Amino acid sequence: MKKINLREFYNTRKDQFSLTLITGPKTLDNSISSKYLNRPGLALTGYFERFSNKRIQILGETEISYLQSLKEEELYDRLKELLLFDIPCFIVTKGLTVPAQMEYLANEMNVAIFSSRLLTDILFHALRKYLEDEFAPSKSMHGTLVDVFGQGLLLTGKSGIGKSECALDLVERGHRLITDDVVKVIMRDEKLVGSSNNDFGAFMEIRGVGLVDIEKMFGIQAVRKEKSIDVQIELMPWHDNLDYERIGLTDNFVDILNVKIPIIYLPVSPGKNVSVIMEVIAMNHILKMYGYDAAKVFTKRLQEDLQRKSKIPAAEQKEQE
Amino acid sequence: MIRKTIVIENKLGMHARPATMIVKAATKYRSEFRIRKGDAEINGKSIMGVMTLAAEYNSELELIADGVDEEYLIEEIAGLFASKFGEE
Repeated sequence: MKKINLREFYNTRKDQFSLTLITGPKTLDNSISSKYLNRPGLALTGYFERFSNKRIQILGETEISYLQSLKEEELYDRLKELLLFDIPCFIVTKGLTVPAQMEYLANEMNVAIFSSRLLTDILFHALRKYLEDEFAPSKSMHGTLVDVFGQGLLLTGKSGIGKSECALDLVERGHRLITDDVVKVIMRDEKLVGSSNNDFGAFMEIRGVGLVDIEKMFGIQAVRKEKSIDVQIELMPWHDNLDYERIGLTDNFVDILNVKIPIIYLPVSPGKNVSVIMEVIAMNHILKMYGYDAAKVFTKRLQEDLQRKSKIPAAEQKEQE
Repeated sequence: MIRKTIVIENKLGMHARPATMIVKAATKYRSEFRIRKGDAEINGKSIMGVMTLAAEYNSELELIADGVDEEYLIEEIAGLFASKFGEE
């Protein structure tokens, strides 16, 4: 099972969640193993049945004022009992501090307490989103992710087929690159989201040229941090005797992390303008989402025409002509 | 060059599925392939061409093949029509 090292969490996310560590640095030798959060209100009152101790414990104004209302001895006993549980860490919101006794006991028992300047509700949602992504099913895929007219197109295919060159051409036409070569895919809200597997920037390898910096070259509008993956496009070398989709009545799907997305097998040959086809795929996908399927509309019109004509007896038809 | 006249025997006529079967079969051959209906003549290797012929049940078509493997092409295409494309 996945775990997030607490020291790593603090070092990389302290700005995002406005965190300061109240307890000593030693308390960071712990890890987060649940994507959920808990507000330990009832546990503070001494009710420990079904206490979700494995979750990050959030202390808001209510919890802090309750602790402050307790008599010193009562507070000490209660906190001791609470801290005997295996707890990843506490986060106090609104920049509040905890009673001195709590800080002392937490240091003793090696449980970290952070203070966040964010409001409880805001911290709650931001943390949940972060944890949901961290614990989401994920995989790394060989491909290039581009945003074309707001549609995330995942280009896949053998090395050297021209994924990077195609992405470059799309960027030049005003579309946006998310990542080239390695795409980190996670599942969020039953959808696929792709991003880069590193924080180095939007670099791309163009064969024969070497590494280029897309953001430096084309500006900030040419790149994007993450994007939902709407369609996979598998680029493949053109073979004369292979069956390619001609009308588009049958949709093919592919399974990524148990999410089904449409896949298009696109034959490419030298000199073919693949970028224009990518734009067409994106626009056609938008139309389909809005309920307009060109292949269905066309074939329906054809069928109606055929039916109408076949109902007229042949003799009459000749007369009409 | 070979010419062969056939009649559409499947009730639904030449809709999308049969049209795709014809084009896929024809593109395997090197010969040129055209289909004529009345005074309309189209390239039999083009899906849009074949579909827009809108050839209905009982209508008459002329298959025209020209090239090194014209006989085989006509034979396979005529076979498809004869089999009614696996339909009624």
